[in-house]
Amino acid sequence: MSKLKIRTKVAELGKGVRLSNVASRKYRDSDTATASQRAVADYKAYRYAKTLMLIVVALLCLVALGVDIGLGPYHIDFLDVYRAIFDRLGDWGGTMTTDEKVVWDLRMPRVLTALFAGMGLAMAGAAMQSMMKNPLADPYTTGISSGAALGATLAMTMGIFLIPGTFGTVVNAFVFALIPAGFIIAMSVYRKPSPAMIILSGISLMYIFNAIQSYLMLVADPNAASSVYAWTIGSLNQASWDNLPFIFCVSLLGGIALMYMARVLNTMNSGDAYSKSIGINVNRARIIVLVTISVVAAGIVSFTGIIGFIGLVGPHIARMFVGSDNKILIPAAGLMGAGLMLLADCVVQTVAETMPIGIITSIIGGPVFMLLILRQKREVW
Amino acid sequence: MTDNTIENDRILSSDVVSSVKEWSSDLSGDSGFSETVKTFNSSIKFKVLFILASVAIIIIATSYAVTVGALSIGFLEVYEIIFDHLTGNITSSFDYIVWNVRLPRVVAGIIGGAGLAVCGAIMQSVLKNPMADPYTTGVSSGAMFGATIGMTLGFAAALGDNSVVILAFIFSLVPTLVIAGMSKFANTTPTTVIMAGIGIMYIFNAFTTVLMLNADSSDLNRIFYWQTGSLSLINGWSSIPVMFVLVAAGLVISMFLSGKLNVLATGDDSAKALGINADRMRLICLVLVGLVSASIVSYTGLIGFVGLVCPHIVRMFIGADNRYLIPAVALFGGALMLIADVIGKVVISPSVLPVGVVMSFIGGPVFLWMVLRRSDKAW
Repeated sequence: MSKLKIRTKVAELGKGVRLSNVASRKYRDSDTATASQRAVADYKAYRYAKTLMLIVVALLCLVALGVDIGLGPYHIDFLDVYRAIFDRLGDWGGTMTTDEKVVWDLRMPRVLTALFAGMGLAMAGAAMQSMMKNPLADPYTTGISSGAALGATLAMTMGIFLIPGTFGTVVNAFVFALIPAGFIIAMSVYRKPSPAMIILSGISLMYIFNAIQSYLMLVADPNAASSVYAWTIGSLNQASWDNLPFIFCVSLLGGIALMYMARVLNTMNSGDAYSKSIGINVNRARIIVLVTISVVAAGIVSFTGIIGFIGLVGPHIARMFVGSDNKILIPAAGLMGAGLMLLADCVVQTVAETMPIGIITSIIGGPVFMLLILRQKREVW
Repeated sequence: MTDNTIENDRILSSDVVSSVKEWSSDLSGDSGFSETVKTFNSSIKFKVLFILASVAIIIIATSYAVTVGALSIGFLEVYEIIFDHLTGNITSSFDYIVWNVRLPRVVAGIIGGAGLAVCGAIMQSVLKNPMADPYTTGVSSGAMFGATIGMTLGFAAALGDNSVVILAFIFSLVPTLVIAGMSKFANTTPTTVIMAGIGIMYIFNAFTTVLMLNADSSDLNRIFYWQTGSLSLINGWSSIPVMFVLVAAGLVISMFLSGKLNVLATGDDSAKALGINADRMRLICLVLVGLVSASIVSYTGLIGFVGLVCPHIVRMFIGADNRYLIPAVALFGGALMLIADVIGKVVISPSVLPVGVVMSFIGGPVFLWMVLRRSDKAW
């Protein structure tokens, strides 16, 4: 009974939001509006409601950011975290207080890495799933993760570096992670890159990379194998101000590019023939999206290791809330991914300090995801 | 209705009239119709040929697989020894090596390859997804979790030498049970099944990872080895019966279901229209795949590739008709696994490369080449 009441309340609230949109009211109330005008008004109302929701979620993420920074052996209050950040920004050259030091030097890099990695991976995952029209797709579908793992394994077990130095492993992982994308681009000269073919060639590249990697792991000494294993789980231990700019750039620029492509992705959903008829070069669009996703995923993975779950499940959860319209879905997935990562990092900081974040996201997110699947009423695919 | 009445009918449009004419003339033995039949028959001939070729490959590869090893045995001698053993007339001194050491591994390879490949074909067909494999519902992660528990937490005392196998089998059934239980509350559309599988997989993997991070490095190496999957994990004939019974039963049942699978592949609505309960059918297939792949995986470890890629390769040859696809995939999968295992034994002997690694090394590029070469899509 009370559930029903809540439902009606929510429905009323939704109606209120819709009515407050002046543009839609104009057409909704007039009898002379055509069907298409009504549809446009409906869509605008939908976007208005969802945008409002996104803003709320973004604010929640901001709160989570503050909370997450505050957690740890040296506890800082949520508001003090923001005070420390603003103080530091206002007085850049001055001496730092303890709070500022802890916030700025120790915790900000890790938390921001979590934020941007989660955001980038989830956005890339959403775009990949939409483009492939496949709920099993994630940012790594084309073989990015196995490429990165192979690059890192080569560095860790054989000492083979493309570029010597502190970034040796990272560069290895990044370059190898981009091989599949390069391969698909090269292939597209000869063949049209249909989703099924991209997936299948991704699978075969993945197997080839994995086979080489498994072989290296089996012949490597156990300690090197353990460190490779730790790398493949993905963690935020390597986060630092030096690494952050790169992750920031790829996930932000990649995210913007994907949001820009959302319109095309929406159209491509109605089939290649239709998209072509309204003037979209489907093959080129697919390649552009694929390259964007690859750069984002490779950029993040090469610094953090292979963080799974977020890129696959983040978009699914977002889809359950906002539906499949890519214009909303991609930013929503980004926020969902960022939120999940921050939440997981909060748990890591409070109860399980030695755990890599990849495990915690799965342990928390897995059951939530199952629950959402059971509760969902409509098909969003 | 004669042609005349149709032509004089004013209600029917010209399209209907012409199509009725076409069909009725076809049925009366026109060349157009028999042409279709001919094409169909010849395509069936090709499919049967493909199946026969796979059988031949298995027979030849079996004896070659038995000859390979530290002690070389003649090619034809192998069959002689097997025949002698079966008739109870053991004469050769190689009998023990052939029968007790090498043959179980070969048989396990054939059964495992066949089972996994069929599971993959069913899964891809039922979920209508080229990325699906026997492990999509989380069987592999469950088995992995069970095996990891067995190896790290020391259950050997309680369950004996087979602790890893038993635990892997039990836990690999958990995801299937969860999905079957879920079907009471939610519908089992392909997407729901896939997403539930993903959810379960991540939960299991997370716990496995926790265990692995705390394991010492010798245990870790064993787990890696198990994770790669190898026929070296087969422990004589004692490993075979459970696997054989479940795979054989699964194969027979899936042959019976193959016609319905074809209908299911055309979509839920048309399946319902033809009297098939799509949700229940899918559930039956999932449980079948869960049991069969669990029985294999718990003995051999997580052998990849064969379940995912083998159906694709066969589909490129003979098309997506499950009535032929399933037997063909079973035989081809068995042959592939067997050959890969032989290659793994030969390449860097005396040490043995795990069969999954070999298959990926060789099969990966071949598959890639096939994907690129094909202009028409089987999907």
